[in-house]
Amino acid sequence: MKKTFKNIETILNKSLNGIETFIQSHPKVNFLFGALFEATDGLIRSTKDTAKNPPYIRRGMDAKQYMGGILTALFFGWVVPAIYFYGFMCVVPKLIVSFVVGVFIIDVIWVILAREERINEGGFVTCLFIPAFLPPQAPLWLIGVGAGISILFRNILGGVGHNLVNPALFGRLLLTICFPTMVVSGWQEPSTGIPTIKSLMYGVDAVTHATPLMAFKETGKTASFLSLMFGANTGSLGETCRIALIITGIWLCVKRIANWRIPVAYLGSVFVLSAIFSLMVGKTAAPPIFQLLSGGLIFAAFFMATDPITTTYSQAGKWIFGIGCGLITVVIRNFTSIPEGIMYAILLMNLLSVPIQTIILKIKYRT
Amino acid sequence: MTKKAYKKGFNLIETYPVKFAKTIVFVKHNGPAVNYSFSFPDKKVEHIIVNLCPTEPWALPNRAILRNRTHDFLNKLETVREEYFPDSHCHVVVNHQESNLINELNQYKAGTDRIYPSTKEEYLHLHTMEPVYPYDAPVLIVKNILGLDIAFGQNTIEHSILLLDPQDVTGIFEHYIKKSEFNTRLIPISGTGLKDNKILKVKPGTPIKSMLELYVRTDIKYRVFLDGLLNGTEVKDLNQKINWSTKNIVVIEERDYKTPFHYIRTKELHFTTSLMGELRCCVYCNFCDDICPVNLEPALYWHCYDRGEKHKAHLYALEKCIECGLCSFTCPSKLELLQVIRECKLLK
Repeated sequence: MKKTFKNIETILNKSLNGIETFIQSHPKVNFLFGALFEATDGLIRSTKDTAKNPPYIRRGMDAKQYMGGILTALFFGWVVPAIYFYGFMCVVPKLIVSFVVGVFIIDVIWVILAREERINEGGFVTCLFIPAFLPPQAPLWLIGVGAGISILFRNILGGVGHNLVNPALFGRLLLTICFPTMVVSGWQEPSTGIPTIKSLMYGVDAVTHATPLMAFKETGKTASFLSLMFGANTGSLGETCRIALIITGIWLCVKRIANWRIPVAYLGSVFVLSAIFSLMVGKTAAPPIFQLLSGGLIFAAFFMATDPITTTYSQAGKWIFGIGCGLITVVIRNFTSIPEGIMYAILLMNLLSVPIQTIILKIKYRT
Repeated sequence: MTKKAYKKGFNLIETYPVKFAKTIVFVKHNGPAVNYSFSFPDKKVEHIIVNLCPTEPWALPNRAILRNRTHDFLNKLETVREEYFPDSHCHVVVNHQESNLINELNQYKAGTDRIYPSTKEEYLHLHTMEPVYPYDAPVLIVKNILGLDIAFGQNTIEHSILLLDPQDVTGIFEHYIKKSEFNTRLIPISGTGLKDNKILKVKPGTPIKSMLELYVRTDIKYRVFLDGLLNGTEVKDLNQKINWSTKNIVVIEERDYKTPFHYIRTKELHFTTSLMGELRCCVYCNFCDDICPVNLEPALYWHCYDRGEKHKAHLYALEKCIECGLCSFTCPSKLELLQVIRECKLLK
């Protein structure tokens, strides 16, 4: 077993080396496919770069593992529960469309045409977000358009390290503007109880139902907290099973991939502010625990708001960022006609993080 | 127990365990050797700090200096103090896990067989420290023990503090007090480029080549570094000679080729000069300010540098940086933060 693996490895290594020398010795081929080869090669093999400046040893953690951690957390946080609740045939085609359009079409064309940045795993993270915050019955073309816009926007800004706002949320914003009815309808009732092969494949019959937040806006009734926690309620594809999201989110924080300050500040401020508001205005404001467990709040707090590049760099700024997100979310949810305000909250705070960072630095170093 | 002044830093000893062979090997050298000399400070010394707690795995382990004769060493230290630095306080820093050594030191302090028993007040002080890099850097060790703030790069003598290398204690004792011949220095050699990690007894003046030739692995490409991997220097010419301030030599594998499936084979890349990843943009992961021992935010300097505004780096307390290199070490985007900091510092 070990020997065959070793043989396969040697052959693979040799052929990759061959392709590499071929590409590098032919400038025209290199122009078109160089970046593509580098990206694929980067997934299979390590780099050959060595440390030229001190320190001469480096830690094993790299940006690939960083993004890999987010991908793993997202997979167990929403893909696996979504397959249980809505069926394989509902989730997997959406993922395939999202990846094919986002990574394999837009990203590859971008790399061939522009050839500035390599294709990198950040695109996978963005594409994994797109189906998660659209309704389960969203048509496949909507996912494709969303993924395409997001990746295009991401690449225009310059990819990992240059994003001004979260590209996935930006894509979602454009979808909300262009197709306002499609992103707020089609909330399919999830299948609960012991799964059958049929329910795992196709989900239950497509009965649609308003989300708990919409229902609260209309009737003032809150859903049971337990059903909200375990995902037996309607909602976007990826946001319903809160318990899985919390567990994977905490794992990300322990691994220090997500900064724990943001979810704590975000969720904490939503709790505190909604408690204050419900004391002030009474029944028209949703109660705190219901606010925490409804909509995409948990998903957003652990996965979207913590997207490291779009927040502030300084740690104190992260608290302000989280609290700002919480404030905008609660205000939009309670005092406007829109049932869910997370997207606007995070996008606005992404933009505000630049001045927040400057102010924090001024206070810290120049007083 | 002394209070920890800094919570951060990185335990290199756990991550890169280095085991040295028990025996100390003498390296023969017939060429010209450099005689021992210690430049005594011209200012009055009030505090002597002797660090017996190395924080880097490739540094000389203190058993090689003490050789189970802690009392002898302390006697030498006291003689040196009495002879050259009277009225000064001696601070001995040891690893907080080495309870045997701590006991021995305490016994010595309480013992009656001391050559110079303290008459007025105790001048020999014992401090414990966690072996976390870079707690033994001059700035941090002085801050930890005496609570004094000194600037990076400043000579500690200006604050009448003398940081004494344990080997210099023996050196001053043998050469200046006993007037006996003292011409060898202990140099530990270690790393993945060697067959065996050894402690060598070398006459300063010996070329590095002749020290390493018996121990390097010939089947791989290797690189040689002086005084540690994090902020040491690379040896380009192996004919370079050892001097009296050389602390250690590390030889590690170069690994300048691609490794397939490196995710499952991290052990092979561990402790080599491989970058272990691609160069990317800063992703605001906050790893560098989590690890920084002096509470700086190294990524800010990179952002200034990236925008082409090196002079702005001085706004963010750049002068506090002790150049330990942990920020570049931990960066997942593999940014050359230490290099950037040094370049920004040059631009006054």
